[in-house]
Amino acid sequence: MNGPDVGWYLIVAAILFGTGALGVMLRRSPLVVLLSLELMLNAGNLTLIAFARQNGDLNGQVFALAVMAVAAGEVAVGLGLIVAMARRRIALDVDEASVLRG
Amino acid sequence: MLSTALIVLPIAGALVVAVLPLTKTATAGLSFLIALGEVALWIVTASRFDFNSSQLQFSTSHEWVQSLGISYTVGFYGFSIWLVGATVVCSAAAIGYALWVGRDRPRAYHALMLGLTGAVVSTFVAQDLLLFYASFEAMLIPLYVLIGVWGGAKRNVATLTFVVYTMAGSLLMLAAVVAFGVTQGTFDLAQAGTSDNVWIFLGFAVAFAIKAPLFPFHGWLPITYREAPVEVAAVLSGIVSKTAVYGFLRIAIPKFPDPVHDLTGLILVLGGAGLVYGSVLAFRTSDLRGIVAYSSMAQMGLITLGLFSVNDYGLDGAVLQSVNHALITTSMFLLVGMVERRCGTGELGHLGGMARGRPVLATVLMVAGMITLAVPGSATFAGEFLIMTGVYGKGWGYAVIVALGVVLAAMYALRLISAVLHVRTGSAVRDEALDLRVGELALVVPMVACLLVLSAWPALVTESSFGGDKGSQVLTQRFR
Amino acid sequence: MTVAGAWICLFAPLAAALLITLTGQVISRRTAGVIATLATFVAFAGAVWSFFEVRAESPSDRENLSTLYTWLVAGNLHVGFQILVDPLSLVMMLIVSGVGGLIVLYSVGYMHGDDEERRYFAYMSIFVFAMLLLVESGNFLLLLVGWGLVGLASYLLIGFWHQRPEAVAAAKKAFVMNAIGDATFALAAVLLVWQTGTLEYFGVFDQVGSMSQTMVDLVALGLLGGALAKSAQIPLHTWLPDAMEGPTPVSALIHAATMVTAGVYLLVRASPIFEQAPHVQHLAAVLGLITLLAAGLVALVQWDIKRVIAYSTMSQIGYMFLGAGIGAYGFAIFHLMTHAFFKACLFLAAGVVIHRLDGEQDMRKMGGLRKALPRTHLAFLAGSLALVAIPIFAGFWSKDAILASALAYGGALGWTLYIGGLLGTFLTGAYTFRLYYRMFHGEPAEAPAAAAAPSHAEHGEGPRSMLLPVGVLAVLSTIGGLVYIPGVWEPLETWLSEVVPPLVVPTTAQDWGSSAIAVTLGLIGIFVARRAFYAGRQIVTNPGLWRLLEQKLYFDELYDALFYRPAVALSNVLRRDVEEPVIERSLDEIGSGTLQVGGEVARVQSGLLRTYALAIAAAVFVLVVVFVAVR
Repeated sequence: MNGPDVGWYLIVAAILFGTGALGVMLRRSPLVVLLSLELMLNAGNLTLIAFARQNGDLNGQVFALAVMAVAAGEVAVGLGLIVAMARRRIALDVDEASVLRG
Repeated sequence: MLSTALIVLPIAGALVVAVLPLTKTATAGLSFLIALGEVALWIVTASRFDFNSSQLQFSTSHEWVQSLGISYTVGFYGFSIWLVGATVVCSAAAIGYALWVGRDRPRAYHALMLGLTGAVVSTFVAQDLLLFYASFEAMLIPLYVLIGVWGGAKRNVATLTFVVYTMAGSLLMLAAVVAFGVTQGTFDLAQAGTSDNVWIFLGFAVAFAIKAPLFPFHGWLPITYREAPVEVAAVLSGIVSKTAVYGFLRIAIPKFPDPVHDLTGLILVLGGAGLVYGSVLAFRTSDLRGIVAYSSMAQMGLITLGLFSVNDYGLDGAVLQSVNHALITTSMFLLVGMVERRCGTGELGHLGGMARGRPVLATVLMVAGMITLAVPGSATFAGEFLIMTGVYGKGWGYAVIVALGVVLAAMYALRLISAVLHVRTGSAVRDEALDLRVGELALVVPMVACLLVLSAWPALVTESSFGGDKGSQVLTQRFR
Repeated sequence: MTVAGAWICLFAPLAAALLITLTGQVISRRTAGVIATLATFVAFAGAVWSFFEVRAESPSDRENLSTLYTWLVAGNLHVGFQILVDPLSLVMMLIVSGVGGLIVLYSVGYMHGDDEERRYFAYMSIFVFAMLLLVESGNFLLLLVGWGLVGLASYLLIGFWHQRPEAVAAAKKAFVMNAIGDATFALAAVLLVWQTGTLEYFGVFDQVGSMSQTMVDLVALGLLGGALAKSAQIPLHTWLPDAMEGPTPVSALIHAATMVTAGVYLLVRASPIFEQAPHVQHLAAVLGLITLLAAGLVALVQWDIKRVIAYSTMSQIGYMFLGAGIGAYGFAIFHLMTHAFFKACLFLAAGVVIHRLDGEQDMRKMGGLRKALPRTHLAFLAGSLALVAIPIFAGFWSKDAILASALAYGGALGWTLYIGGLLGTFLTGAYTFRLYYRMFHGEPAEAPAAAAAPSHAEHGEGPRSMLLPVGVLAVLSTIGGLVYIPGVWEPLETWLSEVVPPLVVPTTAQDWGSSAIAVTLGLIGIFVARRAFYAGRQIVTNPGLWRLLEQKLYFDELYDALFYRPAVALSNVLRRDVEEPVIERSLDEIGSGTLQVGGEVARVQSGLLRTYALAIAAAVFVLVVVFVAVR
């Protein structure tokens, strides 16, 4: 078990997660929002794998794989939506897409 | 396997109907065929059922959540066979009616109707509390949509009312289910013992009372039955309300002997009040659907009286009357729909004189009306007589109330018949309004025929509801 | 094999009803009539067959119970679809199917040309089936089934001409009043189930002795309630006069000859119960007496010929109740039989008149019909004389036997009933012959045109299918009572006393002595009616009394005020004060409240994605803080 302590991994993950969260909250382009989301998911993955390594079993890794699969699906749907929006000449701005407000 | 097949067939059918890109008529036709297939499947089930046995039959059990004691356990008792039989017949008729009138957006509509059928069947065969609860809830979702999308002018209010009432009941029941299951350590009805917790009992009882509905939990009834599409109202009053009967029969009465003992008086009073109240309002309400709706409420009060007399007469009578009521109220609602389609209104003041030149409508409505008012010799009469006999065991006053209900039923049913068929021609009745068509007859006549068979031989149901055993034994011993 | 005939008798009319209903337009109207007539006569043949089979049995062994299948099962209660063929039910079967067959035959002519003849004959067949079920049933529940089904048939036939509001209203009234009777009957049956565990006649009768007095009284009261409603006895009588809105053959069959006498049959059939509850039995007799007097008085002032005969029916059934109430069962059934003959005869003869006058029923517009309708006149006269109980005619033997029994019963009750019954014979003579003279004597009133119209003159008094039954019934009204001649020849009484032994048997001297008085009073009644007619005045001259009687003693108004209005008021109050404010308003509250809350909550739903994300982040932050702090 060489390499850095699990704490370092967590710090990296936290930075990644914070970056992603800020991106989701601050950016208006749906594409960037999607990218930021992926960043947050990867932060989660990193955490999972780090703990898996620390615990010495495969559960975390398996879970990370599952998250990746979900993330891939999510990207597919999200990108599809963005393409659809672009085709219909809907402004690529998440603040504009607020039809679902109550 | 047959139990599961009966649940799965309509649900799978719902998916197929929802997905296949058929034309409007073909979609509805396919849905009707599936409903008929369900009837055929029920006939197979009933023909293989051993009516002399009071054991659970065709049972299937799979672990679901082992640690919580939740399982998928389904199976039939004698009374479930009859309740499911009424369900498949009534829902086939309702789906056939939707086909006949050509409802809009048929794929969604028929998928929901078939899904509803599957959920009701599943409720009637569920032998696990959580499965029962899930099925009970699963019925509601299609109903919300069916009423909210295809309903009449005030459908939004109606749906909202219905949702609020049923959700209140469901949440109470969920709490009761969880509390009961956790204290018993299992949700399997066959393994669970009895409980003496009044609050858990009340959770179930109120949920069923709303579903039935019993007085004074019937607030959703008038507007829902008036605004829902007529065949949905038929299904709602005919078979969905019977899930309450099953709930009382399988869960509330056997599992809570002490609370039942303490609260029987209260429930009987509510049942009696519902009987009189529904009948009196049915006598004065001014539209066809109102009459059928309130009469349905009165009948549910009557059935509750039978159930809570907890003796052989009352229980046999309640099961028989449940089957009768499912068939007759579905027939009546469909007939009301047919009259409304011809006249554009169900207001009694605008109707009348339809018997002239429309002998088939007159005959069918007259027969159905006579069965509604429980003319002696009809299956409904047999049911009412047994319930009257049963409830006499709890006090002579209740029997007198049932007798009063018989007289009131005569008054409102005759009012309905005369208002549609007799005296001068109503302003909304055009001369060219047709007699019943063959397609319509094909929907109503089988149900009326079932009722006539039951009239000639009510023992068919009463003898086999609890197998070879007595109803009171089954409820107070086996189901505990 | 003794019961095979009875089963045929029961099911032949049902088969006819089904056949006519299911074939619908395929068969002609006339065929429908023929099917119904044939079926009823087949039923009669079955009854006759059964009668001879049973007569061949030894007198103590004439109770044949036959069960087809078990109709209803619940707990320990088993109710079979079973018939009891014994001397009593056989007499009833013969009356119902015999008189019924004649009347259905008559209908073929009477209803000819009506739009809905098929429906009429289907209903008639249902009625005959139901009535036979009622009299043949082997247990109380099946009796109740027949009881209710005859009520149903009666409803359908009274309201046959459903375009007429009066007919529909009368039909509903009859049904609801009968439903009250059905309900009390059903309650009595419920008591029997709990007390004896069975509903079979013999099972019940065996255990009546072991029931408490209160229970027996209640059961008897419940049965009596059913009997009163069905037989139109005070206080449940108001439906019968209105029921005359139906076609005349219906009035003859249902509301004179058979259905309305079912109450008497019940009193006799359930006599072991009533004997254990003597107060209730006496109540039946007293109510019968009150009805016979009240109906007789009201009949004096009615103008509608069918209503006069209807009140007369109530009055005669009063005699039967009186007889059954003091235990003269055989005579009650005997009077039921002769009454079926002469009252059917009167109604059918009146039907010929009405048919001839194109539906005219007001006796003020008749008169002098003797010449236009000679044969009908003779038949009506025979029926009238039988009704007034003039010697030789059928009613004489039966009514006087009941009166003699009342005399033999003695005591305060017996004498009251006897004197009341004698008064009734006077009233009978008066109202019957008021009607007779008004119709057939004097000068033709303003309706001669109709009577003499050439189109009518061509087909004489009516088609043969109408005149034949009237003739047969006129003959029966004349000689049909010769099955009981006190002290000489009493086969009917012997036949019936096997199953329902009478509580009271008049001596021959009482019988003939009482008859002398009764006949004298009847003749005085006829004489009074004749004098009043030729003097051109009414029998009732006091205007106050006239009004009271014309308004039928204000029973309708009383019930309207006592029951109908309170029921409507209650219903309105429930609607206005409970359903609308509490149930529906609460709904509105729930609905609008939910909407309002929803509206508030919905504002949070801005649709701005980034706000949501911020909210999630904030919530997570708060949760983290909470978790850390709590730990």
